[in-house]
Amino acid sequence: MRKGALIVFLVLVLGMTSFAWGADKKVVRVWHTETEPQTIAAFQQIINDFEKLHPDITIKQEGLAWGDLEAKLTAALAAGSPPDAAHGQAVTCASFYAKGLLRDQEDIAAVIGRDNIWEPVRMQCFHDGKYYGIPHSPNVSLLIYRKDIFKAKGLKQPETWDDFIKVAQAMMERDKDGRVTRYGLSLPGTPLFINILVGELTRANGGRLFDLKTGRPTFTEKQVVQVLDFYKKLTDTVLPPGWLGHGYLDTFANLATGKAAMLYQGYGRGAGYIEKYAPKGTGNPEHFGVMVKPHGPSGKRTAAQIDAEPWMIFKNAKYPEEAAEFIKFFFKEEEYIKYLHTVPIHLLPTLKSVQKSPAYQANEMYQRWREWVEMDYYYFEKDLARPTLIIDWGDLKLPFGLEILGSGIVVDMVTDAVRGMPSAQAAAKAQARAEELITKLGYKRW
Amino acid sequence: MTGLSYPEPKPEKPSGARPRPESNPAGASAPRRGWIPATTPERHQQLWGLLTIAPALFLILALTLYPVAYSLWLSLLEKHSFFPQERFIGLENYFYLWKDEEFWTSLWLGTVYSIWTIFFQIVLGVAAALILNETFVGRGLVRAIVLFPYMIPTIVAVILWKWLLNDTYGVVNYWLLAFGIMRDPISWLGADHIMLSVIVMSVWQFFPFVLLSILARLQTIPPELYEAAKVDGASAVRRFIHVTLPQIRGILFVVILLRSIWMFTKFDTVWLMGEGAGAGRFIRTLPVYAYMRTLTYYQAGLGAALAVIMFAILVVCTVVYFRMFREEADIG
Repeated sequence: MRKGALIVFLVLVLGMTSFAWGADKKVVRVWHTETEPQTIAAFQQIINDFEKLHPDITIKQEGLAWGDLEAKLTAALAAGSPPDAAHGQAVTCASFYAKGLLRDQEDIAAVIGRDNIWEPVRMQCFHDGKYYGIPHSPNVSLLIYRKDIFKAKGLKQPETWDDFIKVAQAMMERDKDGRVTRYGLSLPGTPLFINILVGELTRANGGRLFDLKTGRPTFTEKQVVQVLDFYKKLTDTVLPPGWLGHGYLDTFANLATGKAAMLYQGYGRGAGYIEKYAPKGTGNPEHFGVMVKPHGPSGKRTAAQIDAEPWMIFKNAKYPEEAAEFIKFFFKEEEYIKYLHTVPIHLLPTLKSVQKSPAYQANEMYQRWREWVEMDYYYFEKDLARPTLIIDWGDLKLPFGLEILGSGIVVDMVTDAVRGMPSAQAAAKAQARAEELITKLGYKRW
Repeated sequence: MTGLSYPEPKPEKPSGARPRPESNPAGASAPRRGWIPATTPERHQQLWGLLTIAPALFLILALTLYPVAYSLWLSLLEKHSFFPQERFIGLENYFYLWKDEEFWTSLWLGTVYSIWTIFFQIVLGVAAALILNETFVGRGLVRAIVLFPYMIPTIVAVILWKWLLNDTYGVVNYWLLAFGIMRDPISWLGADHIMLSVIVMSVWQFFPFVLLSILARLQTIPPELYEAAKVDGASAVRRFIHVTLPQIRGILFVVILLRSIWMFTKFDTVWLMGEGAGAGRFIRTLPVYAYMRTLTYYQAGLGAALAVIMFAILVVCTVVYFRMFREEADIG
């Protein structure tokens, strides 16, 4: 009897102690878009280091697919339980800022050094003179091509979209029966990537997607219609017939395995896939190079997309201050480099001090694929790169970018065009839908 | 008849009021519906009964009626999905959808998807059930294997099918090309074929439910019926039409009803097959469109209006179905 009572007592004490212990811990939820196992592991290591210094805080990381992030964030916000910190597109950050959901990050900027944040990525989520998001790492969408084939065919770097199609056609290969065995280009049909490319091509064609003063969509302008014409030409000549069904990773599989000669939306991450999946002896920069993208008929300069999700901190989350502490810790050089080195050609440093750091540069893969990294820097330093759907930095003041991105209107415009609808008609249809959406959201100013 | 007697109820109105027709002219000894004096054991029993079903009633109210009622209310609002502001706009969302081309396209795509998947599930499920009702070596194993698609999680099934159907490295194209059936690979997940692919995948995934239901009924049909039909010289087809079909029509009624509801509201399979591809637009059925309006356009009111419309369509179709097949409904 006594023994039984003692056991019950011990169980109760233990239970209460663990409850109290659990209750004291602050659980900070962090969502990010780096889902590769080695990145998750490195991120966890940073978390472990942070938790050692802050025993009252537990950080729970969750890696989400890039294309899923916005929908999940929205669902979490609708449910009233946003994560404490999360990655987001620049348009997402702008939209959340406009709705008053974000905590400013001036304190983080002060700790990591305002001047230490690399200029090309400062504007990703910078509103009314304050940082509301500091990118975890930037990179650029690259034109990746089969250098060996390009050289063997004696081709010249394309300047315009028409030149580009000619080059892509020259790199195609057919068997003796006339069947295509290698396409000139591979593009993802994924909605997010179509949004990205439409923004990028419009900029490279000297166009715009929204009127900066009124926010009215400008899809029917000549420069956007020409983008649709370019999509049509690509579909008719050099893309695989089912490209609309291809995901991002499919395009890398196509390139690595020789089914396609070029990628227009390649990223540094692809170097890893190429090393892994290309035929033996070919998975190297001698076979897979990068070149400057061409511009459109109405444009003079090329353009690329910046992939640099800012960290966002939700002020109505449970532990925004603790999340801010964690992000400050994340950017500490020795911690940050661990993270960057997990995908060294893709995760470039946000911090200038880290870019120059010998510890950061002492990475074999980084050295091997340096040509790719230099191409990233080319776009950044010449101010040629912008975030998804952003042509001018002023577009980030428009509060409906997230809704336009999510709605699929831009994607439908492209699919309408490549499925045979005249480009002008597809643009007019998308214009009407976008205007209607903006009006319904209450943002109409024209 | 309980055998208990009840006191005469007091007249509701003073004399002069028209007497209400007696529902039970048999007299006072018969039990009556309505108010029961507090002292009777029946009253206690009724109260106790109400108490015992109260949790279930509460759950039904909380989990079924409340969400439906809230959706109805939400459909009358202009509401951002996560921004707290909302505005009552009456039926404006419904008027908007009436003119919305995407809505009609989604309705059409959803109908095409539902009808074809239900049709092939029934045909395949009944055929497979008939085969598996026969005796042959390894029947138990085959029965277990056939159920496999229904048991695996949808996400696994979708990944599997996407891999099989991939136009550059998929097994399906590989074999079709290897056997010379096709000259060029087909883009199964591209705009032209994605509806066909999602129908095939859905039929594969869900026909075991039909199989299982029909097989269970087949096993209860008395063999004497078939023996008698055979004696009368009925062929296999005639035995199916005149013996099997009448026997399974009750369960078939229920299965078609359930599968119709489930396929019309099917979200996960369609979303996952189309997600991550521009071609997803060509399988944007009504549930997917409702999701998109709510969580990608961020228009919760319109999303709710779509859900209400789906609900209304299902209710109307179910009522019509019940009226058309009244007899089968009774058996089912």
